[in-house]
Amino acid sequence: MKGRVITAAAALGALAVAGCGSSSSGGGTSGSGGGTAAKSCVATIGFEGPITGPVAVLGTEQLHFANLALSMDNKANKTKITLKQGDTQLQPSQATTVTQQFTSNSNMVAVVGPAGSQEVEAVGPLFARAGMPFITGSATAAALTTGKYPTFFRVVSKDSVQGPQDANYIVKTLHPKSLMIVDDQEAYSTGLVAAMTPVFKAAGIKVDHESVPQTNVDFSSLVSKVTPSTSVVVLPWQVAANAQQFGRDLAQQHKKTVIFGTDGLFSPGTFTISGSYVSSFGPDITAIPADASIAAAAKAKYGSFGTFGPPVFAATHVIDEAIASVCKAGQTPSRSNVLAAIKKTNESSSILGQPIQFNSHGDLVNGKFFLFKISSSGKYQLIPG
Amino acid sequence: MAFFFQELVNGVTTGALYSLVALGFSMVYGVLKLLNFAHGDLYMVGAFVGYFLIQWFGGPSALGIPVPLLLIIMFVLAGGLVGGLGVAIERFAYRPLRDAPRIAPLITAIGISFFLENSVLLLFGGQTRVYNTPDFISLSSGITIGPITIDTVQILVLVSGAVLMIGLRLLVSRTGLGRQMRAVASDREAAEMLGINVNMTIAATFFIGSALAGVAGVMAGLMFNQVANTIGFLVGLKAFTAAVVGGIGSIPGAMLGGLLIGIAESMITGYVSSTFTNLIVFGILIVVMLARPSGLLGRVQLAKV
Amino acid sequence: MSHEPEPLPAGAPAPGPAAPEPPASGPRVGADEWVARQAQRREYLPGWRGDAQRLGDRVGWWPRLGTAAAVAALLPLFGLGGFQLQVGINALLLALLAVGLNVTVGWAGLLDLGYVAFFGFGAYGFALLSSGQIGSSGIHLPAYLSLPAVIIGAAILGLLVGLPSRRLIGDYLAIVTLFFGEAFVEFTNNVAPHTLGGPNGIVGIDPIRIGIKFIGTEGLQLTTNRDYYYLLLVLLVVTMAGLHLLDRSRTGRAWRAVRDDPLAAASMTIPVNRVKLMAFALGAMIAALAGSVFAAQQISVFPPDFNTAYLILIYAGLILGGAGSIAGAVVGGLTVVVILDGLLRSPTEAGYIFYGLILVSLVVKVRPWRKLGALLAATIALGFAAHAIAGAISASAVAGGPQSGGWIGSALRDWIIVPASAQTAGNVGFVLVVCLLIALVQLHGRWRTALLVPTIYLAACVWEARLAAEPSITRQILIGAILIVMMNSRPQGLLGSRRVEVIT
Repeated sequence: MKGRVITAAAALGALAVAGCGSSSSGGGTSGSGGGTAAKSCVATIGFEGPITGPVAVLGTEQLHFANLALSMDNKANKTKITLKQGDTQLQPSQATTVTQQFTSNSNMVAVVGPAGSQEVEAVGPLFARAGMPFITGSATAAALTTGKYPTFFRVVSKDSVQGPQDANYIVKTLHPKSLMIVDDQEAYSTGLVAAMTPVFKAAGIKVDHESVPQTNVDFSSLVSKVTPSTSVVVLPWQVAANAQQFGRDLAQQHKKTVIFGTDGLFSPGTFTISGSYVSSFGPDITAIPADASIAAAAKAKYGSFGTFGPPVFAATHVIDEAIASVCKAGQTPSRSNVLAAIKKTNESSSILGQPIQFNSHGDLVNGKFFLFKISSSGKYQLIPG
Repeated sequence: MAFFFQELVNGVTTGALYSLVALGFSMVYGVLKLLNFAHGDLYMVGAFVGYFLIQWFGGPSALGIPVPLLLIIMFVLAGGLVGGLGVAIERFAYRPLRDAPRIAPLITAIGISFFLENSVLLLFGGQTRVYNTPDFISLSSGITIGPITIDTVQILVLVSGAVLMIGLRLLVSRTGLGRQMRAVASDREAAEMLGINVNMTIAATFFIGSALAGVAGVMAGLMFNQVANTIGFLVGLKAFTAAVVGGIGSIPGAMLGGLLIGIAESMITGYVSSTFTNLIVFGILIVVMLARPSGLLGRVQLAKV
Repeated sequence: MSHEPEPLPAGAPAPGPAAPEPPASGPRVGADEWVARQAQRREYLPGWRGDAQRLGDRVGWWPRLGTAAAVAALLPLFGLGGFQLQVGINALLLALLAVGLNVTVGWAGLLDLGYVAFFGFGAYGFALLSSGQIGSSGIHLPAYLSLPAVIIGAAILGLLVGLPSRRLIGDYLAIVTLFFGEAFVEFTNNVAPHTLGGPNGIVGIDPIRIGIKFIGTEGLQLTTNRDYYYLLLVLLVVTMAGLHLLDRSRTGRAWRAVRDDPLAAASMTIPVNRVKLMAFALGAMIAALAGSVFAAQQISVFPPDFNTAYLILIYAGLILGGAGSIAGAVVGGLTVVVILDGLLRSPTEAGYIFYGLILVSLVVKVRPWRKLGALLAATIALGFAAHAIAGAISASAVAGGPQSGGWIGSALRDWIIVPASAQTAGNVGFVLVVCLLIALVQLHGRWRTALLVPTIYLAACVWEARLAAEPSITRQILIGAILIVMMNSRPQGLLGSRRVEVIT
């Protein structure tokens, strides 16, 4: 019995070794990198994100939009770019392993992701050493673009822009006497809280800072703490469904507080508490005619989506266009020329409703913010100006 | 004062949910001495079953059948299906390991947890599904005692939780099946020698324990609205905690443990700070464990030498 | 002469009362691990495998360790790239952690569910001492100062965490240690964000530098993956050696005595409480060592790196390899990471593992070779027939192609059915396969073999149609399946011996 196990295990091992031998280092690719440039533009890009694990909802949405952008761009530009996925489960140590896998893959020229600011901190040096560009659609910590990661780009604005902008709006338009701000113990959230709280304090507003883990779904105790004079509760969260539940608990306990959410709550299918405000990097793509085909395709293939997909679509599109321009110039896509092409990105319009251009540190130039108010029927209405 | 009672109500309701899951966990442990880490995922499957039932009957805002009937169907189906799933898991994965060292089934349970969570992710995708309970059970219905509100769903959870727990207690202490369960829990080999069909008894225990988890899943969906493939892990952990703190193998202990955790969480969030809720709850529980090493209602094990 | 608990061969399966499949139930005469160990008795496998075992026994433990270490040291020279070295580092880290956990769980029998917190303590401790975090420019202690400091700190922490073990036993102790583990993540995430970094962690950790500056040399600074691979290999070998010596000493025997029967051990004047505390402390020290190297290699630490998911991985490695033996812990840790990170992360290799698993289970479980041959032939025939029939019925039913590339894909193209709309069909097929597997367990004899044929075919179809299209999700499902299958077929672990546990 045990002998059979050993024989079988040996056979399995031989199979695996044969597999290792036949595929290139780090994983087999379908399509040789490069090839004859003029004929077909072939390249491999990677996607790093939390595809499984505690925030699989974010990662799967991002992956879907990356694949969507890829298929649309391949058809439009007649390129043959393939995507390899790497699952990080939002754990920086796993992000390191995935990044090593990607950088060891000589055919890979660029990466979309990773999703979290922590992961960017963990893998930034690795990408820099490999000279591989990576564009994120969701890591918003301000500290990432101080120049320490020369190959890092992002298509969304950072916390130090969104935070004060939202806070100023609250102070000037909503005039709360006291407010509650709750973070979800993730870097995105605490970064925004740190950016917003000084603005509130300077305006003399009483701030009650609470904190619940992202896995928490029961907010009744927290909502009980909302006093009658607290007219605004700020929820810089990533999980829109949590905010929806919070709003429900507010209604159930008959509290009239207004919820103000940041871009993580932008999810017309999930967060629909009437009277709430939501700020976002991108407009509601279902409301933009130019994005109609993308939104329809996404909805048909993947169902409802929130705020994390479109920025990744934009990031993937940037990379696709960079690769296509390299091929059009007659060169074989490589990390260095794709990096150079990305730096020169100048899209006058994008799925995010604004032009895309990167500054020298990789930040999006003139990132616009859109503010929405949710009507009584649950629809997101853009607040002008 | 009103604030205190409101937090108390919140805590008791959430605690009732934890208790239900802890009960199933404790039952399985009592009979098999197995820490079933996949228990939380059974709860998750139950929540999904309830979600799909709502969709089947027209969706939350356009239900084709009256709400009480829907609730009954949800509870029965979720309990039945998840119970069946539990029995299948036991037959498939745990039975061959009945005599293995205790630590082996732990890994199998972890494997099943991975399998269940990610199978649901594969089949149904990652996006969070919502019950949208207020669409069919209005938020304003319920009891209002002064400034304290207890809405219908909370009442439902409390009442059905109490009913199930009392029913379980009666089952274990009064019926023949309960006697068999107690016998198998006490000494499996002796029970076998006495003619008790051990496999059947264990299967029945798993069925009831898993069904309880499934029903708790539906209740959680009604209360918290969100259903995703990851909700099982945290609740499973809390149920494990509740079962052990209350005295593992003891049914009233599991109930007490769950209530204790629910109330502690809500009181600390309300009165201290939400940031350190988990830390403080852990601290309290450690103190409780040190004060009563066999759990609150656990019996001190006397080992014959 | 080896004192390692050697795996007992299965021999002829004892016919259990109702269970049709091995292993046998209940203790067997002459198979008591303690007796066998004391009398240094073991049964060897028949044929050439037994000769190999006898050779291994004659050679002894130290030369075996040396050979394994030499092989591992030579591996990077065969042109392993950055990724493979990273997998190697992850594997060695997990092996080191498993070996440390083995002290607490395998030797002393204390279920410590908060072990990953010691790992995190080591990482954070090293991060605080050897980076720019504390103060204006940070304490940049050299490695030869910060490592011992962290290890001693971990020993103290281990003693503190072990204190409840005086009053709590078994699962009650497990729960308290679990709290501790969870509390560590909460603590580093929410408390003192300016010092500990909060969710943003600590970045910019100094790499480890070997050698003392003042001697005039700069010392060797470890920066590349290869450097850390060798460092970890050296640390692992040294730890294994130290633990081996400990295992044969009075302390090792005391731990085993406390694990098997604390009351009897106490009656034999073994200081049970002190022995338990020592187990905790030693486990914590090894974990902290691993944590420090982890922090230096990653150059940054964040709270989610030390969550319960990683603890589960350590346990999986320890138990798969066989709790209670050093070699088992190491082999288990290495295997888990090599499969998880090295093989399953690449979709083609995942395919090999999937098909390999099916073939391996068939080879092991289906007894006479004739039966196996008939089974495989029937499956292949069924496949071609089904493909032809489905193709004849509707073209879209076979329009899709297999996801696997390479030679497997081309071989399977005309064999499996992959419809054009693969997703829904794949989902349904997946559920069907799970149901079939559960049904298989209930059947016996010819029915079971007959049902195996469509099950295997359907599984291959589902893999090509659905599972291979979602490599990351499939990876998790496969890990779950591997854990279940491995524990079912070998509950004592790869190198574990079947212990006899008498539960009163």
